[in-house]
Amino acid sequence: MSTRKTITRLATIGGICTAVALAASGCGAGGPASSSGSAGTSTVNVLVEAGGHAELTGVAEQCKKDTGVDVNFVELPYDGMFNRLSSEFSSGNVSFDVAALDSVWLPSFKDAVQPIDELFTDEAKKDIFPALVKEANVNGHFIGMPAWTNAEIILYRKDLFEDAKNKADFQAKYGYALAAPTTWKQYQDISQFFTKDGMYGTDVKGGVETEWLAHVLQAGSPMVLDDKNNVVIDNAAHKEALDFYTSLVKDAPAGAAQVDWAAAQNLFNQGKTAMTRFWAHAYRQIPKDSAVAGKVGTAPMIAGSAGVGGVPGPWYLTVPKATKNADAAKKFVKCAYDYNDKGIESNLGLAARISAFEKYQDQPGYESFKPLIETLNGKATATRPATEKWQQIVDTVLVPMLQKAVAGGDSATLLADAKKQIEGLLK
Amino acid sequence: MRVAERTTHDAGTPARAGAVPSVPAAVVPLRRRRGTNREGLEAGRRSTRTLLWVLLAAAMVLYGFPFLYLLFTSFKTPIDTIAVPPTILPKEWTLENYANALGRSGVPASFINSIQTAIISTVLSLVLAVPAAYGITRYKTLSGRIFIMAALVTRMVPPVAIGIPLASMMASMGLADTPIALSIAHTTISLPLSIWLMSSFFEAVPKDLEEAATVDGCSRLGALWRVVIPVVSGGIAVTAIFAFLASWNEFLFALLMTAIRSQTTPVVIANFQTQFGLDWGSMTALAAVYSIPVILLTLLLQRRIVAGMTLGAVKG
Repeated sequence: MSTRKTITRLATIGGICTAVALAASGCGAGGPASSSGSAGTSTVNVLVEAGGHAELTGVAEQCKKDTGVDVNFVELPYDGMFNRLSSEFSSGNVSFDVAALDSVWLPSFKDAVQPIDELFTDEAKKDIFPALVKEANVNGHFIGMPAWTNAEIILYRKDLFEDAKNKADFQAKYGYALAAPTTWKQYQDISQFFTKDGMYGTDVKGGVETEWLAHVLQAGSPMVLDDKNNVVIDNAAHKEALDFYTSLVKDAPAGAAQVDWAAAQNLFNQGKTAMTRFWAHAYRQIPKDSAVAGKVGTAPMIAGSAGVGGVPGPWYLTVPKATKNADAAKKFVKCAYDYNDKGIESNLGLAARISAFEKYQDQPGYESFKPLIETLNGKATATRPATEKWQQIVDTVLVPMLQKAVAGGDSATLLADAKKQIEGLLK
Repeated sequence: MRVAERTTHDAGTPARAGAVPSVPAAVVPLRRRRGTNREGLEAGRRSTRTLLWVLLAAAMVLYGFPFLYLLFTSFKTPIDTIAVPPTILPKEWTLENYANALGRSGVPASFINSIQTAIISTVLSLVLAVPAAYGITRYKTLSGRIFIMAALVTRMVPPVAIGIPLASMMASMGLADTPIALSIAHTTISLPLSIWLMSSFFEAVPKDLEEAATVDGCSRLGALWRVVIPVVSGGIAVTAIFAFLASWNEFLFALLMTAIRSQTTPVVIANFQTQFGLDWGSMTALAAVYSIPVILLTLLLQRRIVAGMTLGAVKG
């Protein structure tokens, strides 16, 4: 009897809960309804990677004041964003009016977003880094406005570099003054010098490909594919860059094959490495209670025979063809260009316009900006190849190849194998 | 007790053993042997029990450690969370991560969305699974057997294969970005399991019970409601828990189908990992908070869960 009463009670509670939940489910608890279905409204939904949300918050506030366009952010984790974009673009039914796309995704979604040529005025093209202007242009049309960009620079332990004993010892051993490295040779020497007493000169990242690709650019070759989409991964520059990359393994913490961005950042912030080649934003994200807080210096990415070169990591604001709110969406994209410097005051602290970086470069706390500008303007700096297969090439060929290389594999053989695999993927 | 006393006497000192003259000499070694056997048996049982406890403790540590590590990490300072080598306990305890995580925009709303979605999905699963399972087990027809096998097959399809079509369908029905859409999607995950679970629970209920209820004047539905359902209430609790958990923890469909109005907490937790870094402290803090309702629910329904899990075992 009591069991039946309990069941009846539970059923009643369940029924009430369901009724309440069903009644509430019409709107959910996250905010107003999506506007992409209602044409001509002044509210735009902006799909953005979680880390980039803060970058655009200031822009959204200013845009509301100036144009009356209200912004809802749809925040998604980076790893899931590509799937979501693929799903919505392929269905032709999008829940957002603006999408912030990683540069590597632009070729994949070029047919799903509309041209925004009118926003790329001559003045705008002058104020955006050349590599980004080139990348934003697909098949003769500009399809994405860079919202913020990044590149790897050198972060080093200023305290160690300025130490009198270290300076004297380094001078005695290598015959030149200890300073932030500008060339491959200097990077190798300094890495070797600081690898002692439980500390390492640098890290070697076997789990990510961008850093090695930057060295390829510095060695004077386009990355992996040339302008005509020929696979050039087995040329001399790629081998030279790979040999340089693996030469640092002896001066880096063990397990290089598994080291990725997060691991390298942790090692540096823990004071385990004297230098790191890392994305510029990391300078402003060093924890205040870190062993290296206040002791870090910055320098442009090192140069190879072709000069300073880095791989930019920009995000582009795009307007889907499927949105019914294109006018308001384009207004927001224009705001993002006009108020690009607003992003610099966010946690990430990045922008895309040269003038925005220059506005802050001499202010305390923004010491990473000058090296970043220099790297992004570097002679050898270039964006990744514009192929839809790029992510697949990275995941299935480049990273596994690097992991084998840092574990002692023969570079020429590995590059020749990689060439065959990439050609197979591109067929 | 008597046996134990006798055994103690028998195993006593030689002087005490000598104080029992009436016992035939030939019997003494036998008794001693029996006593020794019983002692050995007891000792064996004790060591088996100890071993079981050790294994149980090891299993608990094995299963519980990741959660404990998550919990401890949520109280660490930023630099402590990324320490190399990692430390288990925080060097300095802080609630900063909880303040950051709970203060982040969208977190309270995501909790409400998670609760809504899980409740609707659980109720939908039960409402559909209970009659389906009852029908299959009581009317053993070919179509019923095919249906239950087909339900199992749906579990074999990777969720990502149905996620994108489901998202498109919901959008075309005007349900995009609503908890009801996500609940329906979650029901596709939990329903097959619920039907199978409920079938096994219904199988364990003797038909005689229903027949007796029918003799007493109950209709078939009346017998189901008044007799069978109370008997399988533990099973329903187990099924409800599984359905609730399936929805509560689900990530992929939530990622594909929610945006502003219905984003659930698993997606918000994942948002702490960005292209530019991973905020371990805030992520673990939110994950710890998100675990609390499930832990409470499990503790609350613990007896029913155990009863439900052993329901099939007492059949016959």
